[in-house]
Amino acid sequence: MAALERPGSSAALRIFGALVPLFCGLLGVFIANIPVSILGGAVPPPLLGLVPIYFWCLVRPDLMTPAAALTIGIAEDIASGGPPGVWTLAFVLTYALVARQRDSFAGLSGLVAVVGFGAAASITCASAYFTIAALYWHFPPLAPILSELAMTVLFYVPTVYVAGMIHHRLVGASRSDI
Amino acid sequence: MANAWKIARKSNAQLPLVIVIALAIVLVLLGKAQSGLFDQARARVTDWMAPALVKVRAPIQGFDRFVGSITEIFSVYEQNLKLKEENARLRQWRNVATVLQTRVSRYQTLLHAVPDPKLNAVLAQVIGRASRPFLQTMVLDAGKQHKAMPGQAVVDARGMIGRIYLTGQRTSWVILLTDLNSRIPVTIASAAGGSGNIQAMMTGDNTAMPVLDIVSRLTTLHSGDQVVSSGDGGLLPAGLPIGTVVEDGSGGWRVALLADPASSQDVEILNFSQPPEALPPGAQLPAEAAGLKPMVTPPPPVAVAPPPPKPVVVARPAALPPDAQSEETAE
Repeated sequence: MAALERPGSSAALRIFGALVPLFCGLLGVFIANIPVSILGGAVPPPLLGLVPIYFWCLVRPDLMTPAAALTIGIAEDIASGGPPGVWTLAFVLTYALVARQRDSFAGLSGLVAVVGFGAAASITCASAYFTIAALYWHFPPLAPILSELAMTVLFYVPTVYVAGMIHHRLVGASRSDI
Repeated sequence: MANAWKIARKSNAQLPLVIVIALAIVLVLLGKAQSGLFDQARARVTDWMAPALVKVRAPIQGFDRFVGSITEIFSVYEQNLKLKEENARLRQWRNVATVLQTRVSRYQTLLHAVPDPKLNAVLAQVIGRASRPFLQTMVLDAGKQHKAMPGQAVVDARGMIGRIYLTGQRTSWVILLTDLNSRIPVTIASAAGGSGNIQAMMTGDNTAMPVLDIVSRLTTLHSGDQVVSSGDGGLLPAGLPIGTVVEDGSGGWRVALLADPASSQDVEILNFSQPPEALPPGAQLPAEAAGLKPMVTPPPPVAVAPPPPKPVVVARPAALPPDAQSEETAE
């Protein structure tokens, strides 16, 4: 009986493991967009949803798919309350860039890895900025988007540490099977 | 099973990147055409989070105060001096206001002035704030259940904060005056009392002080001029205090807001709906009130013999007081 159950349960585990990156992205979006402003709204919340996209796009691109990036972007748009589609486009474009330059980004380590993520986050913020500029037909102030970029890079290290732990415990186990 | 999963994953290769990018662009365009695309989802998520937000509100508020007190502790002495000076000035103004209020009341009594209709208001608490690069908003704990509707003005004790743009069952999202999407028609009353009221459009640009777009280029503004809502369009009541005019250093003008959305906790949602202006009944038309006969459109001419001339009658006010009538008769 146990032998019969094992393949099914292991398949369920694999499916769960495959969905973990998407769930982590959605969770990041949810946490970042809780409408609680510490420090009186002086600093914007980081783009926590971007970190799982970047991390799993490098580590397991078969699990962080373009569709997953699109879904996380739509979630960010819904939760952030801004004009629809802005963050979706920004996330997808960042994904495209990171996917194309995967070898370059994946080879980075230490502080340079943070710089690499900063470059990816800059693409995200720049995409969102110029999309907004195109939608409103004028350039919004730069300071808020730069603050967002700075906060996202600042939160990269703790967030990617958590993502790494989740990867090793939940996703990494099924890595060899796929 | 593992192979099947692997094959399935590979065969889907998931949506090609180009298609996903195209979908994202379509979403942007769709969002431009229909800005309320995600509104229902947003309202539901906020409604669902409302109880948790209410619970975390107190500790977050306490933390904010603590952080604020740390930064302000070094300027307590200066602030105290400024407040004392301002308090003395405000006491003088209170006396002036009391005298003026009495005078206005007397004038209103003399003129039988109809008082402005009182605005219905819903008291709400701020349970959330979001300061994103392209959206500055706050979440209130009043929604459709409390008759909050999109477009209604939100004010605190100091002045207008913004207006509601999305309502759930128990929560509402407020678009702040500083937000990129905020455009409010305003009236600028000159502090010097020289050039009368100036109409303008106040536009948020995600900075602390919204920009003033003056409708007429011939007018001149001065720092310190008062900015209030004009009521144009009928969405907002006229005369809501908003802020004062300040020069931005590059030849433009901005508004220093009276209200501080970052620190507001209790706000009011003004339920204002301007009724369509009805025509006054015939007896209240100015000509009637003056005792003149209203002009009636003459009927089309009929081919008959002209009537004999009548004596000319001078119109006279019908409601003259008896003593005035007697004086006229005596003359």
